[in-house]
Amino acid sequence: MRNAASQPDPVAQARLHALVDGYRPLAGTRDEMVDASGRPRRHWEPVLAALAAGRRSEIDAAFAIADRHQQDSGVYYRVYDHGESKERAWPLSHLPLVIPENEWAAIGAGLIQRAALLDTILTDIYGEATLVRDGALPAAVIAGSPDFLRPVVGVVPRGGRMLQVYAADLGRGPDGRWWVLGDRAQAPSGMGYALENRIALSRALPELYGRMNVLRLAPFFQAWRGALAAQADRANSRIALLSPGPLNETYFEHAYLSRYLGFLLVEGGDLTVRDGAVYVRTIGGLKRVDVVVRRLDSEFADPVELEPSSQIGVPGLVQAVRAQSVALANALGAGVLESRALLGFLPALSRRLTGEDLLLPNVGTWWCGQQAEREHVADALDRLALAPAFSRVEGWPFGPVPVAGAGLDSRQRAAALDFLESSGRGVVGQDIVRLSTMPVWREGRLEPRPFTLRAYVVATPDGWEVLPGGFCRVAESQDPRALSMQLGGRSADVWITSERPVDLSVTLLPQPGAPVVRRVIGYLPSRAAENLFWLGRYLERAEATLRVVRCLAGLSVENSETNGPAREALFRLLDLLGAWGAAPVPTPLLRGTTTAAIEASLFGAGQPGSVRRLLEEVRRTASVIRDRLSPDAVRALAALANPFDHPADHQRGPGASLEMAEHALRIIAAFSGLAQENMNRLSGWRFLEIGRRIERGVLTGRFVRRLADRDAPPSCLDALLELTDSQITYRARYLMGAQRLPVVDLVALDDGNPRSIAFQVARLRDHLAGLSDLPNHAELDVPQKIVLQLSTALKVIDISDVETETVLSVENRLMDLSNEITQRFFTQAGVAADGAEDAS
Amino acid sequence: MIYEIDHVTTYDYAGRVGSSRCLLHLEPRNDARQTVLASSVEVDPAPVEMIVGHDFFGNAMRIVRLAELHARLDIRARSRVAVAPAGPSAPATTWEHVRDEAAVIANLGPDSPVHHIFPSRYAPLLPAATDIARASFPPGRSAAEGARDLAIRIHGGFAYDPDATEVSTPLREVLASRRGVCQDFAHLMISGLRGLGIPAAYVSGYLRTRPPPGRERLVGADATHAWVAVWCGRDGGWIGFDPTNAIAAGEDHVILARGRDYGDVSPVSGVVLASSGQRLSVSVDVRPVEEPSPQALAG
Repeated sequence: MRNAASQPDPVAQARLHALVDGYRPLAGTRDEMVDASGRPRRHWEPVLAALAAGRRSEIDAAFAIADRHQQDSGVYYRVYDHGESKERAWPLSHLPLVIPENEWAAIGAGLIQRAALLDTILTDIYGEATLVRDGALPAAVIAGSPDFLRPVVGVVPRGGRMLQVYAADLGRGPDGRWWVLGDRAQAPSGMGYALENRIALSRALPELYGRMNVLRLAPFFQAWRGALAAQADRANSRIALLSPGPLNETYFEHAYLSRYLGFLLVEGGDLTVRDGAVYVRTIGGLKRVDVVVRRLDSEFADPVELEPSSQIGVPGLVQAVRAQSVALANALGAGVLESRALLGFLPALSRRLTGEDLLLPNVGTWWCGQQAEREHVADALDRLALAPAFSRVEGWPFGPVPVAGAGLDSRQRAAALDFLESSGRGVVGQDIVRLSTMPVWREGRLEPRPFTLRAYVVATPDGWEVLPGGFCRVAESQDPRALSMQLGGRSADVWITSERPVDLSVTLLPQPGAPVVRRVIGYLPSRAAENLFWLGRYLERAEATLRVVRCLAGLSVENSETNGPAREALFRLLDLLGAWGAAPVPTPLLRGTTTAAIEASLFGAGQPGSVRRLLEEVRRTASVIRDRLSPDAVRALAALANPFDHPADHQRGPGASLEMAEHALRIIAAFSGLAQENMNRLSGWRFLEIGRRIERGVLTGRFVRRLADRDAPPSCLDALLELTDSQITYRARYLMGAQRLPVVDLVALDDGNPRSIAFQVARLRDHLAGLSDLPNHAELDVPQKIVLQLSTALKVIDISDVETETVLSVENRLMDLSNEITQRFFTQAGVAADGAEDAS
Repeated sequence: MIYEIDHVTTYDYAGRVGSSRCLLHLEPRNDARQTVLASSVEVDPAPVEMIVGHDFFGNAMRIVRLAELHARLDIRARSRVAVAPAGPSAPATTWEHVRDEAAVIANLGPDSPVHHIFPSRYAPLLPAATDIARASFPPGRSAAEGARDLAIRIHGGFAYDPDATEVSTPLREVLASRRGVCQDFAHLMISGLRGLGIPAAYVSGYLRTRPPPGRERLVGADATHAWVAVWCGRDGGWIGFDPTNAIAAGEDHVILARGRDYGDVSPVSGVVLASSGQRLSVSVDVRPVEEPSPQALAG
């Protein structure tokens, strides 16, 4: 998009008029961009001017940058579970919601007032319960909530504050007032998406973004991180983000925030409680965790004292909270603030507790646990919406989303009134807010769409901090009633624009050449190490399979199953694929077997060793450590795996297979390059490498045994050289055709050849030595001993003594090594807590 | 009456268990009619951690963490409890009054009825259970009288059958098969009462093992027992009814713990990291102290 010229450009003027004239706000609804007379509001003018300044193709191209950025960063990354996939909800709408700073200041004041009020109420609910005792809040409003967690009643949180992160869902009514539609206190989501939307949109519209003095998000996040760190009583505090895991719909955000803020991304199984303190299992043993950013619903956080069926919690966490050894953001039980039942009492509670009216009113709400309110709601059913009063209400005949009374048929209406009468305390009636609209870009035109805005507040030692922006959700339909917002749509960035230039000293954007693995505080969690290790192994096995397929495809051009000089090599390669489950075992060898085997090895969903299945494993292991992979790496892995999921027909046949294998190998090489060049030399990279080296050593051993036994014809030795990328070295070194001893020497024993077994062993030795400065490390542990023995054995062996059994024993030792590494670094059962932990 | 209680719980694991964390509700609570004179809990193998405290409802609770590899876990709880007989007259507050009082009560504390008017995991709201209860509560009847009637009707309408259900059997199935054990009957009665808005709590406890001379042994005396505490208004307070034996809880009932349902008060719950199966055995002996011990008789 070009800068709006200072000289009035007649073409741009005409476009501007067309945009504004073509924009049709909904009747009876406020619009953000234009006023009641259809004139653009002043703070939207730069956006309109920028849209008018370019041709439609230029604008679309700019927006495509934002989309591409989101794809690259993995926002759209799919989670795979039993073949099920989910895409991220709320893809980016390309126009920002613009709010002037002075208007935002009023909203911010309202948010802060509300956060402080809710924190006071929450503390009272779990403490003295004076509000209940004094009759300001019915006991049933609290006791009826499944999020009121009795085991934490009376627990004083470390630092004293229960509510640390608060979000409000806001909507703007026809009169221009902002309303709170709902409170989010359990584990508010969306901040990560707000951050991601900002980065994507500011890249797409850099000039406009710069010109409009948009307030930056980074200082808020910095302040929050500082506030969390300040809650630890140690200099090198460890902050963990506790996630339900990769199948959770907001897992992307957990990983994203962890990466961005340097939190340790953990799942329940990563944490353990010993003597009332929380520890994370790492490759260096158990390490203290001081602060937990809880993205897991409280109820599931501890199977011992809370929900016993929870598999994702941390046994003993309540005990640790009680012992004040760990700070939680938010405290366990904070979800009780989200009850709709509470909304109706907030105006009076605000006056009672602060002497002030709510600056941001909430949507009119009547809790039907009281007779007068119940009768009012029944009488006014046609004007109101009905909704469950709590996060779960047994027997409620409708869904979790409010339903408009007027929209119920006679049977539903009867059911609603029935439930109201028998279980009124589970129901609220609510006013239906008509939301204001904002523009979206559709096919070169602007169209109004209703939206809601989720705004965020965090507690810091210096008071509450408001995120200048938020997560804006834009409806797909034009129905302005707040109810329809739950049905999904797009998300938009939120620009709070200042009259003055903004402070740019804190930046959000990652620096160029940022490491693939972010340096997180302290040691690598065992689970992350294990997944990196298996990522390395699966990736290497996929590469080896692709190499065999490539070699086979090449051979099958010159040879057939029944004829040709390299028929023996063809047969043995097919046998190899069969032996590791990539393709059916080829007996008897018939014409066409090769083509079928190649296809099975690449795409076979039923073949556990096929490239497709291996890459599924790659994707699965990568998905649970995505906080440790760079966007480039994530993108490379997605590009690697996608073509194998649903191969087009034209991708079948030897030629196409060869091409696909080549392409995939190039991506793997690119990924290896990324890892080699960009990953910090931290333990994470070492485990990825260790996995790859072990797998490569074992598979090279298999190649040698299958293709270089004493009876192997030259065609097999040639195939071995090709599989191990060693033809050029061999030809440079030996001016003769392939002969067994020199080939075996080069492929197995030559530690100068990057694909030889000896080379893998040498690298393993380096990596294990690099891990040996971990605490509780023995002088020479079992994995190191194995590698030392192997490396010595490979050095002293005489090449003429290398038999298939010798190679097999090397492979077996490498498998032993894999088991020992699992024992040593990944399995932490029975490990004592590192009580006297020093700075780490 | 003073009782000596010996309650042994044993888990035999198919494999060896490395680490576990258990929550124990094994020490009787002090209550209006009962006083705990002494209590102790022994765990073998010895826990590396043992936290002693009270849960939200005021029940004694221990959390133990075991770290030693073990194939068998023994938990032995012993206590000495004095139990007074029930008062002579039941409170006369009508059930409608109890219901309305509970709905607006300004009390969120551990004894408040407000925790016991909402459905809970093991006592969901079931129209069929509410219907059963409704028949016991004609307009104007006292809550205590209605509850006694309901306990008698559940006893008459359902068969005691230890093979019919497990801890995890949903109430819906109990209603369909009309069979179950003390726990099922207690949950059924709770569900029905809550359906009418009457606060009802789950009580786990013990029955005197051998009946006084001339009386029959009560059902459920060889293991932990369960019954229902009904809130009978501000004046009446909590009163126990035992639907398994069709009686009001009396001097033969020793209260262990009170909660919303079994989930709040199960004697032993927790997290055991065992991949293989386990076998649970429980033995309970509740003996009045003036009664000679079995050993004394044998000797």
